[in-house]
Amino acid sequence: MSADEIRTEPKPVFKTASFYHNSKSSVKKRAWKSLKQIISTEKALPWPENVVHYSSINAPPSFKPAEKFSDLSGLPAPYTDPQTRLRFANKEEYATLIGLPMDITAGYLALRGASSIVG
Amino acid sequence: MEILEFKDLKCVPDIVHPYTPSLRNNSTPIIIDNGSYQCRAGWATSSEPLLIFKNLIAKPRKERSKKDTVEASQAPQLQVGNDIINIEAVRFQLKTQFDRNVVTHFEAQEHLFDYTFAHLGIDSENSVPHPIVLTEAVLNPNSSRQLMSELLFECYSVPGVSYGIDCLYSYHFNEVKPQENALIINLGYHTCHVVPIIGKKMVFENTRRLNTGGFHIISFLHRILQLKYPAHATSITLSRAEELLHSICAIALDYRKELNRWTDPLYYEENIKRIQLPYNASLVSSALTLEQQKERKRELARRLTEINARKREERLIEDEEKLNQLLYIQEMTEAGVDKEEIDRACADYQIKNVQDLQKHINNLNQKIEKTKQKIIAANTTDEVEEPVAKQAKHTKMVFENEKEMHLFVQNAKKMRQEILNKKMTRKQRKQDMAKRRTAAGQERMRIISQLARKEKGNDDFGLRDEDWDIYKAISKDGGDSDSEAENEKLLELDDIIRTYEPSELDETLNPGETHQLHVGIERYRAPELIFKPYMLGSSEAGLSEVIGYVLSLFNNEDQLKLAENVVIMGGLANLPGLQERILSDLISIRPFQSIVNVRTVKNPSLGAWHGAKKWTKSGEFKGSFLTKKMYEEFGSEYFKTHVASNPFYHTPKGQNVDIEMV
Repeated sequence: MSADEIRTEPKPVFKTASFYHNSKSSVKKRAWKSLKQIISTEKALPWPENVVHYSSINAPPSFKPAEKFSDLSGLPAPYTDPQTRLRFANKEEYATLIGLPMDITAGYLALRGASSIVG
Repeated sequence: MEILEFKDLKCVPDIVHPYTPSLRNNSTPIIIDNGSYQCRAGWATSSEPLLIFKNLIAKPRKERSKKDTVEASQAPQLQVGNDIINIEAVRFQLKTQFDRNVVTHFEAQEHLFDYTFAHLGIDSENSVPHPIVLTEAVLNPNSSRQLMSELLFECYSVPGVSYGIDCLYSYHFNEVKPQENALIINLGYHTCHVVPIIGKKMVFENTRRLNTGGFHIISFLHRILQLKYPAHATSITLSRAEELLHSICAIALDYRKELNRWTDPLYYEENIKRIQLPYNASLVSSALTLEQQKERKRELARRLTEINARKREERLIEDEEKLNQLLYIQEMTEAGVDKEEIDRACADYQIKNVQDLQKHINNLNQKIEKTKQKIIAANTTDEVEEPVAKQAKHTKMVFENEKEMHLFVQNAKKMRQEILNKKMTRKQRKQDMAKRRTAAGQERMRIISQLARKEKGNDDFGLRDEDWDIYKAISKDGGDSDSEAENEKLLELDDIIRTYEPSELDETLNPGETHQLHVGIERYRAPELIFKPYMLGSSEAGLSEVIGYVLSLFNNEDQLKLAENVVIMGGLANLPGLQERILSDLISIRPFQSIVNVRTVKNPSLGAWHGAKKWTKSGEFKGSFLTKKMYEEFGSEYFKTHVASNPFYHTPKGQNVDIEMV
C-alpha cells in the first residue's frame, strides 16, 4: 500500500497500525501467488504417503464421449460447418450461420473452448 | 403473452450495527462464512447473519492525467461489498480475494475484514477482541491458511480463530438429525464438492471437487445471450444473467428429451420466456405512424398560413393609414393652404410635388385592393388546401389492374433477389479465396505460380488485352466487388417494393419488441453445464459422473449407506429440477431396487453460517480454537482440527524444495 492511500483511508481503530503483508512479493505486478502457483509449490513438496491435498481431489476426466450440441440453438447437432467449425442442427440454422460475422462465430467457438487451432 | 422485465436489484449499503456492551464484554464469537460468492457474517448470538455481501471490492484506478499529489484527497474511495451500489458500473475494477474457492489475495481480504468488523460496530482500539469462526475451502492449502492466520492475529489481534468447512458445518449442525453416513453435494459459486461422510467423519481421500459452478453458468448464459443478440450486447450484463439464472433457469430431468420437446414449435411458443430490455422511448419517436406524420405536417401548414394572414392584415392597416394621410394632404392643396406647409408635409412622405402625390395615392389604392383580394382568397382556400400526400419517394404508377401491379412487384422482387444472390456468391467466393484448401483457393494459387514462372524468350504476356484479365481472376475480391450502382439499385428496388406492399419490408411496429430477449433452450442449457462441463471445453466429468465415481471408491456396503442419504446444499441447490435430476441419474447407476434418497437442505445458502453458529454452542467448540499463543508457539500454519475442519498436515520442510521450485 502506497503512502498516499493510507492518508486517504484512515485505518479502522481495531487494526494494528504496524501490520503489513510481508509475504507479498516485492515485484509490483504480481503481488500475490495465484492458486496455480500455490498448487504447484504444494505438489513439489515431499509429503508423506497418505496426505490428501487440494490438487488431489480434482474431479476425474470424463469417461463418456462428449455429445455434440448446436452452438447456436443448443439442439443436438449432427453437422459441422467446415468453414467456421460451428456445429448446427438443421438447414435453417446453417442459413443463419453463414451470415454471421467473424466475431460472433469466434465468440461461439471460444465459449465452447474450441478456438485453439490445435484442438 | 407475458413479458418479463429485469428487476435490476441494487445493493443497499449496510448499516453499522450497534456494538452492545453484552457483545463487548462477553467476547462473543464472530461467525464468518467466507464464500467465494458471498460473505455472511454475524455474531454467535444473532439469529440471522447481520451482514450478507458479495465478496468484492471495487478499486478505482488512479487517473494518469492528474497529478496524484493534488488530487489524492479527492480520489474516489475504495468500495467494498454492499457499498457498491451498481456493480455493472464498476465491473472492470472489481477484485475479489478468491482464486477459485481459495483465498489468495490477502490485501483484498484485509479490506473485506475491515468492512466486516467496521459494520459489526467494533470500536475497540488495536484489536478485535472476539474469537473468529471462519469457513474455508475443502483442503485449503496450508499457505493460504497460514496467511489468513497471519492477517487475523497480527493485523486484528484476535484472541482465537477456528477454521471449518462450510458444508460440514451445515450438515453436522444445521440438520435436525444428521445421520452418521451421508453423501453431501455442495454446489458453490466456483466449485462443486461431492463429500462422502462415513460414521460422522468426512472421507477426505474420496472427496472430489468439480471446478465448475454458478459463476460458470452465469458467464455462459451471459455470453450466449450476447452472441444471440449482438445488438444488445451492452445491455445484457452479468448481473442480469445472474437474475435470469435465479428467475427462469431450471435443470432438465432428461436433457435430450427436453431438447427434443423444444423442436416442436407449439412447445416453443408456450415455454419461451420473453424478457423486455429497458429501452429509450425517445429513440422511437422517429418511427411515428403515417397518420401522425400527416397530422404533424397539417399542423405546421396551418400555423404558416395563420402567420401569413396576420402579416397581410397588418400591411393592409398600415397602407390604409398612409392613404388617409395622403388624401388629407391632397385635400389641403385643394383647399388652397399655404404652399410651404404643403411642401413640408410632402417632404415627410418623400414626395416631390403634387403630381407625384397623385401617383402615390393611386399606387396605394391598387396595393390595398390587391391585399384585400389575397385575404379573401386565403380565407376561402384555407379549408381546401391539403398537403399533398407524399409517397415514399416513388410516385405511384397507375396500373390497369391488380394483376399487372402484382406482376410488376414480383419483377422488382426478383431483381432484388438477384442482386442479393450476386452479393452472396461474391462473398462466398471471397471467403473461399482466402482459404488455401478450397478449390477456388487452389485454382488461384495455380494461376499465380504460372504467372511467376519465367520462360526465356517467348514471354509475350501483355500483348493481348485479354492477358490482363487474369489479374482480375486472382484478386482477392474475385474480380468484381459490390459496386455502388448495385447498392443504389438495391435501395431503389426496396423502395418500390415498400411502396406497393408496405408490409413486406417494414420492421415490426412495436419498437419494444426489438428490445426483447427470447430465452428458450438457454434456460436449461446454461445450468446443464454442471452436468456437462465439456460444453465449456472442460475435460472434467460432470456432476452425476463424479457422484458415481466417488461411490465407486467405496465398498458395496458403504455405497449403500451413502446412496441412502444424499444431501444437496449450496447456492445452486434451489434450482428447480435439480433434486429430481440427481435422483434419476443416481438410480440409473445404482443396483436394481437399491435404496436411493436425495434431499435438499432447508436453507441451502445460509446453512453453513447457521451450522457454524450452532457449533459454537456445542462443547467441542471451546477446545477448538487456535489461540494467539499457539500461533506463536506452533508456527503460523498450525490450527486445531475438529469434526467440521480440514485435516492438519504439517508442511514438510523439504531440503530439495528450492531445487524443485526452479
